Amino acid sequence: MSAVAQPTVRRAPRRRRPTPAALALNVLTYVVAFIVFFPILWAVLTSFKTEAAAASIPPKFLFHATLDNYRTVFSADYFLFFRNTVILSTGSTLVALLLGLPAAYSLAFHPSPRTPKVLSWVLSTKMLPAVGALIPLIVIYKRVHLFDTRLGMILLYGAFNLPLVIWMMRSFFADLPKEILEAATVDGAGFLRIMTRIVLPLTAPGLAATALLSLIFSWNEFLLAVNLTSANSGTLPVFISGFMTSEGLFWAKMSAASSLAIAPVILAGWLAQRSLVRGLTFGAVK
Amino acid sequence: MSVRSEPTTPWAVGFGARRLAALRTQRAGAVFLLLPALFYLAVMTQAPFVLTLWYSFHNWILTSPELGHRWVGLSNFRYAVTQDPIFRAAVVNTVEITTAVVGGSLVLGLSFALLLNRTFPLRGVARSLMIAPFFVMPTVNAVVQKNLFLNPIFGLVNWVWTSIGFQRVDWLAVHPKLGIITMAVWQWAPFMMLILLAGLQGISDEVREAARIDGAGPVTEFRRITLPLLGPYFELAVLLGLIYILQLFGEIFVATQGGPGTETTTIPYYVYQTISQANDVGSASAQGVLAIIFSGIIAALLLRLLTRTFRRGLTS
Repeated sequence: MSAVAQPTVRRAPRRRRPTPAALALNVLTYVVAFIVFFPILWAVLTSFKTEAAAASIPPKFLFHATLDNYRTVFSADYFLFFRNTVILSTGSTLVALLLGLPAAYSLAFHPSPRTPKVLSWVLSTKMLPAVGALIPLIVIYKRVHLFDTRLGMILLYGAFNLPLVIWMMRSFFADLPKEILEAATVDGAGFLRIMTRIVLPLTAPGLAATALLSLIFSWNEFLLAVNLTSANSGTLPVFISGFMTSEGLFWAKMSAASSLAIAPVILAGWLAQRSLVRGLTFGAVK
Repeated sequence: MSVRSEPTTPWAVGFGARRLAALRTQRAGAVFLLLPALFYLAVMTQAPFVLTLWYSFHNWILTSPELGHRWVGLSNFRYAVTQDPIFRAAVVNTVEITTAVVGGSLVLGLSFALLLNRTFPLRGVARSLMIAPFFVMPTVNAVVQKNLFLNPIFGLVNWVWTSIGFQRVDWLAVHPKLGIITMAVWQWAPFMMLILLAGLQGISDEVREAARIDGAGPVTEFRRITLPLLGPYFELAVLLGLIYILQLFGEIFVATQGGPGTETTTIPYYVYQTISQANDVGSASAQGVLAIIFSGIIAALLLRLLTRTFRRGLTS
């Protein structure tokens, strides 16, 4: 029962050599992981094939890799869409952080009896379907000349990512020890000082994860993009959706365009892994 | 620092006054930090919903400005609910597809989570590979699956299917719903997995050991310990999943365009068709309002769950 004896007793079963059953489960896990990832892998492989090899039956698993598809894809207007996507997702993430960080700070450190209601309302804006807001957005954006502009999309995506920033950062801020804030307040530090010198450095990993999630959502958003943009501010999801109809059966090029479009997001997602669940559940699961 | 912790009386008095004053200005300031965000949210997200409601009472065709926009009361709603056969089909399809996707990804997600909730070599790699589909943009998902996998002649699926002796199938033409559901499940199973895995990791070893000592086998342990303790996580995963999957759009837009016929026309896709093809603001808005009501019921349940747990997290 002593504190020293307990860990050795508990650790004993884990040190055993893996049983055949455990080994079988390991293999099963690897197989499942491979199958789950396979569509992505296959698209990436296809992007390095020639068009003939891409559409061959039986499928070619070994082939001479070529970079031609990437060259063709990038010489087309793909680059414009790629640039738009980068601008829209970073722009909207900045808007969401600029408005969301002060709000999260306020809700975390100066809670009032209304705080739960405010939080609940903030979240509710994220839960209603975008199609419910779509029609007025089309009508108004056309009227105020924001239709098919990057500014219009940044403002919109900024609003759609704001609830995520507020909820996620509030939950990270709330984890900080209150004493630190009180000490800083007594020393006469204002909001900006406390935020940039104390709060943000201490929650940097959380801030990074929040920003990455916000980038991912803007990067992948399709419903609003396809309805509110065209040639000027179209994003990659829109480009990809139009690819097949305009280009016909060019699978290798399609795969190159697809791989380039998803690679940054998958990398961002892997980087944000540790706080992913927290972000996806709005801080309910830590 | 050591000086401050000395409880000398004059200093403590000064501390109290300064502290109170500082707190008071902070509190006033706090509201100003919060308001811009709330105002922005209201303008960008709430105002459109109100306008959708307003438009839904009007007859307004974008391409026929000479008709103006006439107040028609509830007739757009009456048409959508009682007469429009496509809207009815869209409601049924939305319910079917959403239920199948949520159910399918929940079952797969739980299996994935159980596989990952063990210690084994390369666990991190396996986990990373298994969450990757969640980050793939819906249009890429659909374009890749529709062509590289489900194409009747050159697709991988039919290559496997015919190699094991079956007839070639044009999957998206014969089983369009199944195709959409498969694509969406591939994307959403990782999401469910992440939430359930977090739940599994929250179950303490002591509880499991206690069950084992009491003679519970793996099956009993799963049924009596794991599943009940995962309860709140299931609830969260299902509600969040419902909210997002009800909005499924990109896959349908690319893979089936709502067809063949109206086989895969869901409410979001039908709203899109009504506004972009018929240019009918009134009807599209009425459908949008109905979609909001639909999601609103689920959102209300989810909000209750999230605000209930927003202070202490889900671990109960």
